[in-house]
Amino acid sequence: MVKQAEIKENPPCTTQKSLSNYLWKDHPDENKWADCTHCGMCLESCPTYELTGQEQHSPRGRVHLIKSVAEGKIAVNEQFMDPVYTCLDCRACTTACPANVDVGGLIEEARGQIRQSMPLTGAKGAVSKLFLNGIFPHQNRLNSLGGALKLYQKSGMQKVIRKSKLINVMPKHLVEMEAIMPKVHMPVKKKYKNESVIPAKGTPKGDVALLTGCVMDVMFSDINEATINVLTRNGSNVRIPQNQTCCGALHVHAGDRDSGRKLAKQNIKAFSDAEKIIVNAAGCGCMMKEYAELFREVEPEWHDRAVAFSEKVEDVSKYLYDTGYEKPKASINKRITYHDACHLAHGQNVREEPRDILLKIPGVEMVHMPNADRCCGSAGIYNITNPEMAGEVLESKMKNVPDDVDMISMGNPGCMLQMAMGVQKYGRNQKIVHTVQLLDWAYQKERAEEEENHGSEGN
Amino acid sequence: MAVKGIKTKDKHIHGLAKLVGGQRAILYHKEDLVAYDCDGFTIHKHLPRAVVFPKNTEEVAKCVKYCATHNLPFLARGAGTGLSGGAVPLHNEVIISLVRMKNLISVDLENRRAVVEPGFVNLKLTNSIADRGYYYAPDPSSQYCCTIGGNVAENAGGAHCLKYGVTTNHILGLEVVLPDGEIIELGQNGIPDAPGYDLLGLMTGSEGTLGIVTKITVRILKNPEAKKTVLAYFDNVTDGSQAVSDIISAGIVPAALEMMDKTAIEGVEAAAFPVGHPKDIAAVLLIEVDGIAVGIDEQITQILDVCTARNVREVRAAKNEEERARWWANRKTGFGAMGAISPDYLVQDGVIPRSRLPEVLERIEQISEETGLRIANIFHAGDGNLHPLVLFDARIPGQTEKAIEAGSACLQACADVGGTITGEHGVGIEKREEMRFVFKDEEIIAQTNIREVFNPGNLLNAGKLFPTPGRCGEVKKEMKEALLAQ
Repeated sequence: MVKQAEIKENPPCTTQKSLSNYLWKDHPDENKWADCTHCGMCLESCPTYELTGQEQHSPRGRVHLIKSVAEGKIAVNEQFMDPVYTCLDCRACTTACPANVDVGGLIEEARGQIRQSMPLTGAKGAVSKLFLNGIFPHQNRLNSLGGALKLYQKSGMQKVIRKSKLINVMPKHLVEMEAIMPKVHMPVKKKYKNESVIPAKGTPKGDVALLTGCVMDVMFSDINEATINVLTRNGSNVRIPQNQTCCGALHVHAGDRDSGRKLAKQNIKAFSDAEKIIVNAAGCGCMMKEYAELFREVEPEWHDRAVAFSEKVEDVSKYLYDTGYEKPKASINKRITYHDACHLAHGQNVREEPRDILLKIPGVEMVHMPNADRCCGSAGIYNITNPEMAGEVLESKMKNVPDDVDMISMGNPGCMLQMAMGVQKYGRNQKIVHTVQLLDWAYQKERAEEEENHGSEGN
Repeated sequence: MAVKGIKTKDKHIHGLAKLVGGQRAILYHKEDLVAYDCDGFTIHKHLPRAVVFPKNTEEVAKCVKYCATHNLPFLARGAGTGLSGGAVPLHNEVIISLVRMKNLISVDLENRRAVVEPGFVNLKLTNSIADRGYYYAPDPSSQYCCTIGGNVAENAGGAHCLKYGVTTNHILGLEVVLPDGEIIELGQNGIPDAPGYDLLGLMTGSEGTLGIVTKITVRILKNPEAKKTVLAYFDNVTDGSQAVSDIISAGIVPAALEMMDKTAIEGVEAAAFPVGHPKDIAAVLLIEVDGIAVGIDEQITQILDVCTARNVREVRAAKNEEERARWWANRKTGFGAMGAISPDYLVQDGVIPRSRLPEVLERIEQISEETGLRIANIFHAGDGNLHPLVLFDARIPGQTEKAIEAGSACLQACADVGGTITGEHGVGIEKREEMRFVFKDEEIIAQTNIREVFNPGNLLNAGKLFPTPGRCGEVKKEMKEALLAQ
């Protein structure tokens, strides 16, 4: 069944006399697929298998194809590219897999091979290049785009977003909160440019560095601001390293591993002094925890630094949960459901921590969302490159969103945009919020109430 | 006439595509077909000619008729989790995939039955009726993803079949497309025990060689009032096996009585759902009793006593539902978990009289020593259904062949003590030759004669279930050649 006479452990593909059709360095890791026994436990976890019923669009099918290329049975071509790029990279299969097969890692490595063998052309290529190389790594260009609306106009999603005016993303209708909502539109990286540290309120418990992110800081700078607020409020000195850059997740998802490495190296350097690196975007956190994978074969001298870097990376909800945070005194009387971002739940195994934060806010009534950890279809720029499939995935997600809730909370900006589109498209009226935003609003409301009480006492 | 979007000169691809609604319901590129070259049994790989995805019975019948008319071999496939190669296209078959026929058609609680399409996933049935207090009993370990259509084809079992019976005990009616395209119904209206020959029984477990099931009426059960689960650790396998016999002899019929040996424990503990079994124990028993609440505690006490009498190291009941669920996840993902300690495995499926458990396990250990391959044992001990998992590395030349030999020797050991070669995984292509351990040539011919009645041209799933009588040596040679050709 195996054509090669003998395979040594993890040989560099280029030097091996084999039938492998992977031509470039950094090829899919044989040790990853060796764990797969083809049992099929992953099938039902996969959104694209659910929609197509086709084996090549299932996790084990993709692993099987990736392995078949290495065995020389099939070539790296358009037909192989389709299943590999139709994967949402949602990692639900890694949660389902009894043998912990790293399907996501294999997919990303295979994409690296495909991108080098078959550079993108046409419309897809143009869109990909615009976002990945033209925008995300360049803070000033991102800033000048002025937020989500313009960014999405470029991608042709304008119509949907225009109707929603993006304002659905923010709980505008909550009058009581609006009064205290931070009106921040300037990216926090720019805002705190001249402050080496944003000091903790009260006695400092520790020092953290914040990844502000590329898209996050432009479209959702208020979430970054909220993150800084809850961190300082709970005793952390927050630093914002100015040399940091985009995490590279979208590049790696797209198969552009060289750009991914470049960005990874810049971040490893930028955060070299940090004790903890706090991330509020699930996709970025997951990528930053996997930097070492990028240096498995290429520039291996960075591998150990990447491992050390990754150990310091933590999602904001997990950090708060682990180090303790103050329960807010003010109430937010809302019915809220929680959506697990794939790269939090499946990618980082962070599930209970954000729910705990929501439950600790007085007045919040948590409503269970069935299949909460099912992908929403955002998947980085998947909703731009594979709009049809992303739309179908979103449709099944929206069917699971309970009708009678006021808000959907989550921990990833990509999901927030996608779910906002879902709310708009299916005529729902939920507001989309980031978990730390809710905590921050509760704190702010608490302060406002205290001030009011002081004020009335004074009278 | 060419079908839009289909890029091949093969006229049959166009012909079939027309029947199922065009290019989105057919696969024919080699790169896509490779994903269909095997099912859960990965030792034999063969490419199909095409894969079609019908939406309903009529489309299935049309595809079948087309294949019959044009003399194209074909077979049906569900989730492709079968462990004996029943869905492997040995003859370049057209695969009729039933996964898009995945609706729950109706639930009739009053009469305790449900009607499903063949692509409906086993566990989804229980999930759909659990809130009303009902469930579907057959629970193969792959129930998270396997389809009920596939369960019917293989007469699938599961951990709880000790008390509740295998799939055939839960089938009340079937709609079947025969190999000539005719649609028939068996067991109409879901009334059990119809007069005449038991065709439902014949069809269930026929491994896709007699027809393609397109609609299934199943029995559903009320949730048991109470349920308790016990975990018992033994320092030697014989004590564990004796405890199994003693529990049944004491008159208790547990809902499930599962056992894993040391190597199996190493696998599940290294994988995704560990529960912290001690590494140095020889066997763990997972025992579940259910039924009316009164009497459950008494049964548990009896079980604890039996285990103590058999030198159990530690025995305890699950503290809560969460712990119980963890124990089961650990057990039910056991096969896939072997990936964590071995690149490949081959699972066997022998059945033996319970009382012969210790000696057969000893024999399996010998086989492991003789072949130099590790063998893990995960099994439904209560009904004597063994699953020796032969661990090997297909990348090492000769190991695959050795694993096949070891698996076959395990089945011989089962047959030798008066057991048989499959409990629930089916014969498929894997155990064709081993059918000779339990059937004489004439008995095999008698059975292939039955197949002839339904499937006279043998276009449907040929080469499965039976060896070719009188050609034993040739078949073995063929298998070996097929293996080398891959």
